[in-house]
Amino acid sequence: MTSDHIHPEPTTFLKKHVFSVDHKVIAKQFLWFGLVWLGIGGIMAMMLRWQLANPGVPVPLFGKLLFPRTSGVIDPASYNTLFTMHGTIMIFLGLTPAMIGALGNWSIPLMIGARDMIFPTLNMLSFWTMVMGGAVGFYSLFVPLGATEAGWTGYPTLSTTVGAVGQGETLWAIAVFLIGASSIMGGINYITTVIRLRCPGMHWMRLPLTVWGLFLTSILNVLFIPVIGSAMIILVLDRVFGTTFYVPASIMSGGTGGDPILYQHLFWIFGHPEVYILILPAWGVVCDLLSFFARKPAFGYRASVGAMVAVTVLSAVVYGHHMFTTGLSAMLGESFMLLTMIISVPAEVLFFNWLHTLWKGNLRLTTPMLFAMSVIFVFGLGGLTGIYLATIGTDIFLHDTYFVVGHFHLTMAASALFGTFAAVYFWFPKMFGRMMSERLGKLHFWLSFVPLVIVFCIMFISGYAGMPRRYYDHTSTEYLRPLQHLNVATSVAAFLLGAAQLIFVYNFIKSRWWGEPAPQNPWEVGTLDWTTETPVPHYNFKTIPVVQCGPHEFSNPVLGPDTDWIYQTEKLPG
Amino acid sequence: MNTTGIIELHGEQPVDQAPLETGRDRVNATLGMILFIGSWTMAFGTLFLSFLVLRDKIAVWPPAGIALPSAPIAGIATLVLAASSVFVERASRSLAVAPGAGSDRRASFNSLWITGMLLGLGFALLQAWLWYDLILAGRTQTSGLYESLFFGLTWVHAAHVLVGLFLLSWGLIGSRLRRYGPERRSFISNAALFWHFVGIVWLFLFLGFFVF
Repeated sequence: MTSDHIHPEPTTFLKKHVFSVDHKVIAKQFLWFGLVWLGIGGIMAMMLRWQLANPGVPVPLFGKLLFPRTSGVIDPASYNTLFTMHGTIMIFLGLTPAMIGALGNWSIPLMIGARDMIFPTLNMLSFWTMVMGGAVGFYSLFVPLGATEAGWTGYPTLSTTVGAVGQGETLWAIAVFLIGASSIMGGINYITTVIRLRCPGMHWMRLPLTVWGLFLTSILNVLFIPVIGSAMIILVLDRVFGTTFYVPASIMSGGTGGDPILYQHLFWIFGHPEVYILILPAWGVVCDLLSFFARKPAFGYRASVGAMVAVTVLSAVVYGHHMFTTGLSAMLGESFMLLTMIISVPAEVLFFNWLHTLWKGNLRLTTPMLFAMSVIFVFGLGGLTGIYLATIGTDIFLHDTYFVVGHFHLTMAASALFGTFAAVYFWFPKMFGRMMSERLGKLHFWLSFVPLVIVFCIMFISGYAGMPRRYYDHTSTEYLRPLQHLNVATSVAAFLLGAAQLIFVYNFIKSRWWGEPAPQNPWEVGTLDWTTETPVPHYNFKTIPVVQCGPHEFSNPVLGPDTDWIYQTEKLPG
Repeated sequence: MNTTGIIELHGEQPVDQAPLETGRDRVNATLGMILFIGSWTMAFGTLFLSFLVLRDKIAVWPPAGIALPSAPIAGIATLVLAASSVFVERASRSLAVAPGAGSDRRASFNSLWITGMLLGLGFALLQAWLWYDLILAGRTQTSGLYESLFFGLTWVHAAHVLVGLFLLSWGLIGSRLRRYGPERRSFISNAALFWHFVGIVWLFLFLGFFVF
C-alpha cells in the first residue's frame, strides 16, 4: 500500500485523467473542483447580497428557476440555507481544494525535488473522498423537510433536531466529515513527503516558503480536523440515534441532558486553527512571490519560518475569543484575549519581512505579484480590525454584527482567495504549458481588489453601527432602516466583484486551450519546479536534482552583471 | 528511460523490477501511520473531553438506581483485548527477526496473528454482550445522559474495532497469498500499530466508565 515506487505511465483515459495517482493530475483535479465550487459559493453570495439590498424583490435571471414557489423571491428558509452553504462551500469545497489540494499537490513534490507524493494512492483517495463530500453536501440542498439552516458553524440547538428537522443538516454534517477525512489524508501525505522526500541538499532552511506554509498547514490539518470530525459524529448521533450530547436536559431525555455549549468549544478548537489552515499556504506563497518579483532575497527567511511556526502553535490556544459572549469565566476570557493579542506579534514579523522584501526591490508588477501584494493590504486590514474583536470589551458590542463578517472575510477569505489567485497565475504556465493573458489578469486584479476592499470596509461601518449578521431583512427593523443605504452600496460593490470573476473564468478557459505556449521558466525564478521541462514529464525529474543554494538568491552580487538569478541546482560562484 | 517504467521516487537509479521493501520504505510507512494515529488520537481525545465535561453534569457517578453495564464483563473484555494486542505484536515482530528460516517465520506469524484475531473477535462479542445486557434492562441511548455517553462512545470505538479486525484479516490473507511476509511487512506492522491504538482507546473508556 505504501510504496516508494510509482508505476508506469498510464495509458487509458480512466487511469490517466480520472483515477490518476500522479500528483500533477490530482492537483489539476483539485483545482477544477475548487474553482467550480468557488463559483457556486460565489453565486450564493450574490443572491444573499441581492436579498439584502432589495428585500422581497425576485432574483433576476434565474430566480424563478431556483425559488418557484415564491416566484423568484428568496424566502427566509432559503436565505438561511444560502448563507450556511455559502460559508461551508467557500471554506471546505472552494478554498481547501484550490489552495491546499491543488497548490499543495502541485508545488510540494516539484519544489522539493521529488517524483511524486510519498503515498500516491492515498492522494487519489483524498481527492475522491472530497468529491464524495461535495456530492453529499450538494444533495443536502434537495432533501425532504429542508436543507441545513444552522449557519456554517452549525451551532446546536439550531442544528439538533430541535432546530433543524430536515435531513439536510445530517447530510451537511456527513459532508463536513468526509471533506475533513480528505484533508487529513492530504495532510498525512504532505507531512511525510516533506520530511522524507526532500532531494539531496534541500535542507529545511532551503525550502521555499510556500512549502513551509503548506507543511505547517498540514500539521494543523492532521491535528485539528479530527476534532470537528468527532464533533460531527456526535451531532449525527444526536440527530439520528437520539443521544443527548448537545441536547439540554428535558423530559424527553429523562431529566438529564448534555450541553449545547460543548459543541461550540469543539467547533472552535477546530475552527480557529482552520483560519490558519487556509491562510498559512497563502502567506507562504506571498513570501515567495514577493521575493521572486522584487528580485531580492526574501527578507528574514529564518524569521519568517519562525513566525509561521509560532503562529501555528499559537493558533491552537486562542479559540476562546470566538466565545466571549457564551459566559466564559473572566479568567479564561482574559487568557484567551491575551493569547489572541500575542498572535499578532509573529504576524507583525511577517509583515515587516514582506515590506522589507519589497523595499528598494526591482519590482516586476506582474499579475501574480499584484495579487501577492494585495494580500499584504487585505490581510493587514483584516488583522488590524481583529484587535477589536480580540478585546473582550469591544467584542461584546461587535459580536454577531457585520463587523465580524467584514473581519473574517478580509483575513481568511479574501487573503486566502487572493493568495490562491496569485498561485494560479504564477504556476499556470508550468501546470498547463500556456501563458495566461497578463492584460486580462491585471484587469481582473483591479476589478477584484477595489470592489472587495469596498465591500468589506462598508461592512465594518455597518457592523459598527450595530447591523446584525444573518438577518433576512434589515428594513423590517426600525433602528436598522437608516442603514439600508449601506447594504445597497455593499451589494453594488459585491456585484462588481462577482462580475470581475467572469474575466478570470474567460482568461482561464481561453489560456488553458488557446493561450500562447509558455517557455520553461517565464518568471525567471530558481526553485526546482522551474528546472523541469514544460509540460512537466511523467516523473518530474529524470535524475533527482541536487540542491546547492537557497530558493531566493536574487540579485546576489557574486552572480555578476549579466543575470540576477540562479537555479537552486547551481552553485553560487565564488 | 527504463523499460519497465518503475522508477524510484527518491533515488538516482531506475530499478529493473518490482523492488522488495527497503528499510526506507518501512520508515515512510511507519511515519505515515504514526501521523494517522496522532490524528485519530485527537479525534478520540475530543470524544473523551466531551465525556469528561458531560460526566461532570451528572450529580452521582455512576448513576444510582438504574441498571449499569456490567463491570466484570468489561474487565474481562479489557484483558482479552490486551492479550490480543500482545499476540498481534508478537506476530508482527516474528517477521522481523534475523533472516534464515523464512517459511518457519511465516508459519509462526500466522498462528500468533490468528490467535490475536480470535481474541479481538472475543472482545467484540463481549462488547456486544455489554450492550445487550443493558438493552435487556431497558436502557438505550435515549434513556439519559449516562446512556448517551456509554452507547455513543462505545459505538464509535466498536466501529474502529471492526476496522481493526478487517485490517488484521487483510494482513492474514496477504500472508497466506505471500504478499506480506518477512520481506514486505509494513502493512503488518501498521495494522498492529492501529490495533494497539484501538486497545489504548478502550483502556481509557474502561477507566472512565468502570474505574473512576
